[in-house]
Amino acid sequence: MAKKQITRRDFVKAGLLTAAAAGLGPGVLKPTGLWAAEPKIKGPVKVGYQAIMSGTLAGYGEFHRMGAVMAADEINASGGIGGAKLEVEFRDSTLKAPEALKNARYFVDSWEADFLAGIDSSGQALALAPVMAQLDKPLMVTHAATEKLTEQEVYKNGIKQIFRICTPTYQDGNAAAFVAKDLPAKKWATISPKYEYGYTCWQMFKDTLTKLKPDAEFVAESWAPFGTTDFRPHINTILDAKPDGLYSVEWAGELIAMIKQCSEAGLFKSIKHVMLPVGAAMDVLEGLGDAMPDGLWMSGRYFFMYPDSPKNTEWVKAFHKRWNHYPAYVSETGYSTMYAFKKAVEASGSKDSKAVIQALEGMELDSPAGKRIFRKEDHQAMYTVPWGLTASDPKYPFKIMGKMVIITPEQCFNRPPFEGAECTPPFKS
Amino acid sequence: MLESLVHVCLAGLAQGMFVWLVASGLTLIFGVLRVLNFAHGSFYMLGAYFCYTLLSALGDNFWAGLLLGPLFVCAIGFVIERFFLRYVYHFELPYQLLLTFAFVLIFDDVVKVLWGAGSLGSPRVPGLAGSVPILGRNFPTYSLFIMVAGPLLALVLWLVLEKTWAGRIIRAASSDREMASAIGVRVPALYTAVFVFGTWLGALGGGLAVPYVGLLTPGMGETIIIEAFVVVVIGGLGSLKGAFLGALVIGLLSSFGTRFIPTFDMFLTFILMAVVLVWRPQGFFGEAS
Repeated sequence: MAKKQITRRDFVKAGLLTAAAAGLGPGVLKPTGLWAAEPKIKGPVKVGYQAIMSGTLAGYGEFHRMGAVMAADEINASGGIGGAKLEVEFRDSTLKAPEALKNARYFVDSWEADFLAGIDSSGQALALAPVMAQLDKPLMVTHAATEKLTEQEVYKNGIKQIFRICTPTYQDGNAAAFVAKDLPAKKWATISPKYEYGYTCWQMFKDTLTKLKPDAEFVAESWAPFGTTDFRPHINTILDAKPDGLYSVEWAGELIAMIKQCSEAGLFKSIKHVMLPVGAAMDVLEGLGDAMPDGLWMSGRYFFMYPDSPKNTEWVKAFHKRWNHYPAYVSETGYSTMYAFKKAVEASGSKDSKAVIQALEGMELDSPAGKRIFRKEDHQAMYTVPWGLTASDPKYPFKIMGKMVIITPEQCFNRPPFEGAECTPPFKS
Repeated sequence: MLESLVHVCLAGLAQGMFVWLVASGLTLIFGVLRVLNFAHGSFYMLGAYFCYTLLSALGDNFWAGLLLGPLFVCAIGFVIERFFLRYVYHFELPYQLLLTFAFVLIFDDVVKVLWGAGSLGSPRVPGLAGSVPILGRNFPTYSLFIMVAGPLLALVLWLVLEKTWAGRIIRAASSDREMASAIGVRVPALYTAVFVFGTWLGALGGGLAVPYVGLLTPGMGETIIIEAFVVVVIGGLGSLKGAFLGALVIGLLSSFGTRFIPTFDMFLTFILMAVVLVWRPQGFFGEAS
């Protein structure tokens, strides 16, 4: 037997080492950065990022890119990911599902991506889910919001490769209902996009508000097809129904057009309570400028004035300095995605899919948007995004959030196993 | 109820007249040159951007922007016809479609490079920014303006084509190119002129769209061009009268559809197009071939 005995001498040595380590403090001997991970991670860490970069929504792609590029530059300037260089490549997702699949296959099969990120449309995200299981690379969704992605595909169908770093429709439907329950408005109506995202959010808003405020009524819905430029017929539908409140998950340019046309039609004079779950987007706020009325409720996936933390303040400053823009929410999710991959790779010491997925599950990430935790069951990032009232501020050439209301993810995110009434808010604990 | 009906009607008329402004140039170019110009949507977009830039440069003077902006786009239209399109007239239709579609892609990216990928908000038009109460509900003044501008443009086009010497030549060349050429009409020059004029109409539509829609985005031409095509097909390819009527029908149909049968509003216009194509393939006023 060649089994090595622990001699008395070894024992003393080990004791001395331990004592020395304790004396020097934990910072010195803990393997960090370059030194620790270098032997394990070979070659660059490659992230294939796809977002909408053409057509009327091309601005979103730009904002994604600004965030992701900034993170990659920072990471590479300070030693990369475990010593390996981080490379990010961008492709136009065009918002069409077949293009998303093509891009994903190109990234993995030809470009040899280790991770994928991006995706704006819920339809694309759902189409991509089974493909991600085949390609077996982690995908971090930075914008698409359908809760079906995490509830169905990740939790029920077990597609563990998918994670989401942005707030899902819970923020748009459930959290909105929590804000709406305290408003002196009983009758609600909506103008929303005529596709999955619009229907889901309105349904969730109705369900949750009915539970929180049983006398709430829903009096009209008008669905605007993708690409609508003339909202006047929809506005007529709403005005005919005479609601107290308007709820709308219109977004980007269509939201800009809708708000302008609502103002012209005098809608904000007769309807005092307006909720825009994705209104706090920089493209919308900058695009509208003064034309955004005061006193509308809005939220998003991140707003640059929240949280009031040094990390966020510094980041917003650096972002503005580099791009001459305030960060849009997709900039923040794109930026934090790179740090999530970095943290997971360094924690697992590998860029292997299985190890990284394991590291990401339940992982805590300190990001400009605050602390995120990737929920183990459905891979959804739990973090807080405020709801707030639009207000003017002489420091900014656009409307900002004045009064803010915080609805935490614990309050408003659906809970696993995503079946039955006890999995949707309000929760007892 | 009356209030609602009147407003649905008004919104439809405004929408129809707005599409007519864009469709007029498209159908004119087809009527004379027999080219289905995909890039017409790009002219609309470029018109909007040039008007926007000029009106900002000229101290938010909307009218000066509207007057000068389309002229820049006319110059682009001239280059496209004279140096590109002219060489594919004798090829089959798909070549012309491909060429003009290539310009759509090029101009979308040019706009992104020059003006940025994000959307730009439009300034208000002095005098037309507010709204007027009609039966107790506000109607945008600018929409009323569009409802006047549309028929006015139709009248001017009709006068030019029916009552002037130039109009007679255009009609001659469009009904028989060889014969017109034989009696001494310089057809190539005429084609260039008509194409540039059609470009101007598209760009003017874009300039007028800025306050109507409320914002500018790269790719904004792609949405409108589909509607304009539907209008032109329903009205009869090449027929201005048909495009005017088609635009009115489509505008009203879409407004009433959105209000009263919202589930099917997206289908309505295309159902109408399908019915017209089956029942009267040449459109309302098209010539049967």
